[in-house]
Amino acid sequence: MTTMLRAAGSAARLGPQPGEVIDRAHRFTFRWNGAETAAYAGDTIISALAAAGERVFSRSFKYHRPRGLLTASFIDPGCLVQVGKEPNVRGAHRRVEAGMAVRAQNVWPSLRYDVMALNQAMTRMLPPGFYYKTFMAPRALWPAYQMVLRRFAPGGVVTNTRTDAYFDKRYAHPDVLIAGGGPAGMAAAVAAADEGAKVLLVEEEYELGGHLRWGTEADLATLRELRDAVAANERVEIMTNSTVAARYDGNWVAVAQRNLRHVDERLIKARAKVLVVAPGLIERPYVFAGNDKPGVMLSTAVRRLINLYAVKPGDRAVVFTANEAGDAAIADLERAGVQIARVVDARRGGNLVRARGRGGVQEVHLADGARVEADLLVTAVGWTAPTTLLTMAGGHPVYNHRAARFFPSEPPEDVLATGGIVGDGTLDQLLAHARAVGAEAARRASIRARNLRAGNPTAPSVDQRSPDSSSSSIPDLPIDDSPALFRSATHGIVDYSEDVSSKDIFSAVREGYDSIELAKRYTTATMGPAQGKLEMVNAIAVHAEAAGRSIAETGSTTWRPPYAPVTLGALAGRAFEPVSVSPMQPWHERHDARALIAGHWIRPDHYGDAAAEVRNVRRNVGIIDVTPLGKFDLRGPDVPRLLNHLYVNKWSKLAIGSVRYGVMCAPDGVVLDDGVTGRLGEDRYVMTTTSSGPETVWRWIEEALQTEHPEWRVHVIPVTAAYASMNVAGPNSRELMCRVVADVDLDPEAFPYMRVRNGRIAGVDGCFMWRIGFTGELSYELHVPAAYGLHVWETLLDVGRDLHIGPFGIEAQRIMRLEKGHFIVGQDTDALTGAFAAGLAPLVKLDKEDFIGKPELIWQEGHEDILHLVALQPVDSSVVPPEGSQIIEGRRRIVGRITSSRMSPTLGRSICLGFVAPHLKEPGAIVTVRLPDGGHVPATVMEHHAHFDPEGVRLRG
Amino acid sequence: MWRPLNGLLGNGRGSGPRARYSAFGLLRRGLSGADWPPAWSTHDLAPSYDVVVIGGGVHGLATAYYLATNHGLRNVAVIEKRYIGSGASGRNTAIIRSNYLTPEGVRFYHRSLKLYERLAADLNFNVMFEQRGHLTLAHNDSSVRTMRWRAEVNKLEGVDSEVIGPTEVKELAPFLDVSEQTRYPILGALYHPPGGIVRHDAVVWGYARGASARGVHIHQDTEVLDINVIGGKVRGVVTNRGEIATPVVVNCTAGWSSVIAGMAGVELPIETFPLQAAVTEPVKFFLNPVIVSGTLHVYVSQTARGELVFGASVDPFTSYSTQGSLEFTEELAGHVLQLMPSLARLRLLRQWAGLCDMTPDFSPIIGATPVAGFYIDVGWGTYGFKAGPVAGEAMAEFIATGTPPEIIATFDLARFDEGRLVGEKGAAAVGH
Amino acid sequence: MILIPCIHCGPRNASEFAYLGELGRQPDPNTTTPPEWRRYLYTKANTAGWTVERWVHRAGCGRFFTVERNTLDNKIRTARPPDAQIRLIQQAGRADPKADA
Repeated sequence: MTTMLRAAGSAARLGPQPGEVIDRAHRFTFRWNGAETAAYAGDTIISALAAAGERVFSRSFKYHRPRGLLTASFIDPGCLVQVGKEPNVRGAHRRVEAGMAVRAQNVWPSLRYDVMALNQAMTRMLPPGFYYKTFMAPRALWPAYQMVLRRFAPGGVVTNTRTDAYFDKRYAHPDVLIAGGGPAGMAAAVAAADEGAKVLLVEEEYELGGHLRWGTEADLATLRELRDAVAANERVEIMTNSTVAARYDGNWVAVAQRNLRHVDERLIKARAKVLVVAPGLIERPYVFAGNDKPGVMLSTAVRRLINLYAVKPGDRAVVFTANEAGDAAIADLERAGVQIARVVDARRGGNLVRARGRGGVQEVHLADGARVEADLLVTAVGWTAPTTLLTMAGGHPVYNHRAARFFPSEPPEDVLATGGIVGDGTLDQLLAHARAVGAEAARRASIRARNLRAGNPTAPSVDQRSPDSSSSSIPDLPIDDSPALFRSATHGIVDYSEDVSSKDIFSAVREGYDSIELAKRYTTATMGPAQGKLEMVNAIAVHAEAAGRSIAETGSTTWRPPYAPVTLGALAGRAFEPVSVSPMQPWHERHDARALIAGHWIRPDHYGDAAAEVRNVRRNVGIIDVTPLGKFDLRGPDVPRLLNHLYVNKWSKLAIGSVRYGVMCAPDGVVLDDGVTGRLGEDRYVMTTTSSGPETVWRWIEEALQTEHPEWRVHVIPVTAAYASMNVAGPNSRELMCRVVADVDLDPEAFPYMRVRNGRIAGVDGCFMWRIGFTGELSYELHVPAAYGLHVWETLLDVGRDLHIGPFGIEAQRIMRLEKGHFIVGQDTDALTGAFAAGLAPLVKLDKEDFIGKPELIWQEGHEDILHLVALQPVDSSVVPPEGSQIIEGRRRIVGRITSSRMSPTLGRSICLGFVAPHLKEPGAIVTVRLPDGGHVPATVMEHHAHFDPEGVRLRG
Repeated sequence: MWRPLNGLLGNGRGSGPRARYSAFGLLRRGLSGADWPPAWSTHDLAPSYDVVVIGGGVHGLATAYYLATNHGLRNVAVIEKRYIGSGASGRNTAIIRSNYLTPEGVRFYHRSLKLYERLAADLNFNVMFEQRGHLTLAHNDSSVRTMRWRAEVNKLEGVDSEVIGPTEVKELAPFLDVSEQTRYPILGALYHPPGGIVRHDAVVWGYARGASARGVHIHQDTEVLDINVIGGKVRGVVTNRGEIATPVVVNCTAGWSSVIAGMAGVELPIETFPLQAAVTEPVKFFLNPVIVSGTLHVYVSQTARGELVFGASVDPFTSYSTQGSLEFTEELAGHVLQLMPSLARLRLLRQWAGLCDMTPDFSPIIGATPVAGFYIDVGWGTYGFKAGPVAGEAMAEFIATGTPPEIIATFDLARFDEGRLVGEKGAAAVGH
Repeated sequence: MILIPCIHCGPRNASEFAYLGELGRQPDPNTTTPPEWRRYLYTKANTAGWTVERWVHRAGCGRFFTVERNTLDNKIRTARPPDAQIRLIQQAGRADPKADA
């Protein structure tokens, strides 16, 4: 197969230009819609294509009209392309690379022959919001209509493959962060750095310089000086091809950095002491019929093409100019050998009517009746101030009718603005303003730094040197008169990305969408990829015209962040999702434990057969890793008062060496957490919580100690990860413990149920153990210093081999606790379950002075009209109703639900815990459980929560 | 009884525009070049109204629409501080579903979904309700349990809802990473086929157009400054454009409901939090259902325009500022990429924030207050938009008949004093 | 991201802190009535403007303190230790409550 190679030097490439950024020594090729195309290093994708003679780069959103170059910058709406797997690449900004696979977007089947271009013929039937007026009947066809509408979706394609892109993040703490590396930004950066400030200078384009880059010889000389000064100053960090995306409260500034070799995009989070906004001005398109045809370009676009990329934008041009930028473009065009067919000077009453041509401009109709043949129509009508960052800092842009553009309102203390966004004037005036702003920014930054240090009560003493408090004066920039040129006598495109015309905005206003915000939402003008930077002011002007109001009365719509789009990859950065594991995790992994994710903990669910694990515990002995249990070391004489405050039960008389089960409720009486707390010494206690509870419980403890009872003498240390915890359970557990525990008399008389002992386990000092029984078996919960957790675990397994010891996981524990009828907070209770509903009446001591939740529990007591937690057994013992199954009466009245259910290996039948309505709570009641498949199973309400050993003979053994 | 008015032609004595929207109308006007008439009328402020609704969002406009349509109450004004839909109605992520947890909640939102299904026909305004299906992902066994609980309650209330496994999830949304080796594996999902997305502005405009056609006055750029209460009864409202006498005021605001209620001397169990949302640049269609992950605090859908719309849970502290934050976009992007790793190069285009009035039990407050004639339809947290039609319908019935409809009985203000909270937290907290 | 002025560490990113809601006054739990208690639990001033609220430096020193913040623009003007600590210190006759918060 042969492909025609379009040469970089062919068609439209000019000879060397003084300010060009292409490197003629580096030539390579890339692919455009499959065709090999040549380019120079430094070319953008679109400049290379334009040099190769291409004129159409995409099709528009709604009418699929061919679109070409308009701004030759980041926001060029017709130049979004697909690069490999990356959609919506800004082709007029992105530098082309060797081998790049670039394709046109929003075309089918091809850029040249696009089927949906037929929509153009339908323009009159597709007014703004046409979809709100149709596709309603018959309703059965609506899904088919949806498929049609979806085909309209613009943009590139995402592919479902794991990306090879790399993204990360960085923090920065500049004194002065400058958004915009044009002449004003550079001058401000040098001035701020000269005052001692650390400066971060961020520029959207690949090189610093802004409009100086396509300026006169003198401009280029100034540019060189400024670049040298910035580069020479080590206090200035420069980031090109990077965007200040947004400014948030506290001058927290997001920068998307793209000039890194091995990072696709990096999010910089900068706490800027002062932000200087210097984005320059954006040239505004003119609204007239045919203003979106390929070949219609802004003056800045042709100047960029000629001066930066040495590309001849056309052969025969009409130039519509209202300002010096347009005049300068004429000079550039002439120098590039473009024939100037006609200059239409708005300052002398000239105006455009329409551009005509198939596939691009061929003829331009002028207000004086002339029809001029041309393939290029250049407009220079005025500017838009991109005030996004300033409006994020507060305030609304204010319209100045003399300058025919919006200006920022006064920003807060820590934000300053300079450059074209503030005013006009000569380059010297601009630079003087920028230098003054830079110096002032440095001064304010030093004051702010001082205030921040002074605001820290525990920092070393504050630097006494006071910064210069005299505010340096910032000169005013003059504001030039500019004609209010927004729309000619014809209707044209206002929003190129969204295919919204001025006619559409007129109809929207007539239909009652007569505020700019309503019209924006109705027509979707300014909601496309440029987010209004290109089209906002025209939209406002056309709306004002249609509504018979002034632009000032119409006002601006809200500029929303980010200033320019940021990849999800950069915003996400590298995935940082920390997890916790116990010291025994390597052992679990070696033994094929199936992992259970519970909050931030990864723990063994089972080791292959949970039912076998249950049988082994009931018959022999098992060990389970319970390290995730929340643990607190509480010390001091007032610990009992704290416990009385937190728990619903009483703690004043807990003897040394004893443990007690406790339940905590929230102030609304809802069960919040439960666990065991033991008294290890005179003033030493250890509290355990549920695995998900320690954060909340710690906050409650601290809240009580700091905000309610600062007089209590209690120290609290969270020790969840400091101890590895394991439970040894089963009839053989005492025998096993005898083999590893020193210093502790394990005789049941000496160390009975619900007692705690300090001691040495498997040679490890500093352990404590208590006798409790979540599984219902004789069991010991061991807490050993975390560093020795794995050692103790392995020792137990080793010395207990002849006792048939085996590990068990969470699943086996859940089965056994259900056999014993122990509830789990959050599973067998919900966000409204009070202590009485959970069956905790015997525990709640309402005669205590005070505890959290007491008033509500007083009112809950004896309140019968609540769901009650009961044990249930399906009559058909082989049916396990899934957790969440509903208990019903009649066909659909809900009278309860199953909260826990399992097949019990011990009893050989299904067992449940669940909530039932009061009239069903009595033992022996038969309820109907509705299964997810629609079937029903009757179940019996049991006398005790425990299905197995309700007297607790085994665990007290 | 609900009595739909099929279209607007030849019905009603109210003032306002009447021009039926249809494909034929588009064609006819396209060919003749004739303009469509205004969708709603503008009026001077009348000295008195039978009912004054504060808040020109979906709740306020729906209330006015149903007062006029179902109960013939047409001397009604809707007072809006800015433009219609400028508050939460224009800032939400437009997800419609009814798979709540409590039977009361399910019944209520189910009615709303049913109203949404025929809203385009009733209003003769295509609100673009796309019933793409709604997936709430479960990343751990306790979520699976809650999903099953919800599915079972849903089914008993006649709502299509089922727990499905990872394979089925993958079939419905191929971009989701359902592999097991992730930090938040997808163990299953609650699948709710009738759920979907709607064009939120269209709902607002459709109700406004319908209400206006029936004689309701919609006053935009009109701010309520005070509510006149004498002897425990509402007498009128004071606005920046003048005073209005009225015996009935309905507070249909979001974000400012405490402030408005305060004008009538009513305190509410509400805290106002910003809720942030964002959209990406458009890409070609690839995601059909709405995806929600409560664990990851994120919900995603792709609009017909090709943009991905994201939302999260409310901000960590109260505020009336809608500035937005970077933390939100960072967390959001991180969580979206956990779910759909191949979207790393997609770009976030725009973020914004709305205000959410959170109640202690994640359920709204609809009904009367201790001040006679002062009604509230507030506390909509993050789930107000999907309830707009039913809330408007029920509130209109309450005002017209003086009796609270059963469907809102559990959502009264007195429930907080009486300790009768609604247990909707689990399904509503991030349950879009 | 706003900065929260921790009474111990000075201004830090808000993400280090947990917001605990507006400062309320708890009724006497032994004499309170259900409506009074539930108003304390649920009813909020929800002020649009300056409000007094509680924060904890969760990912920092762990201090609980009270902040005056404007909910319209999130500006903060004061931060002080919990009232109970101030009372305790005043009882002890110490001058500066910040010194040993």
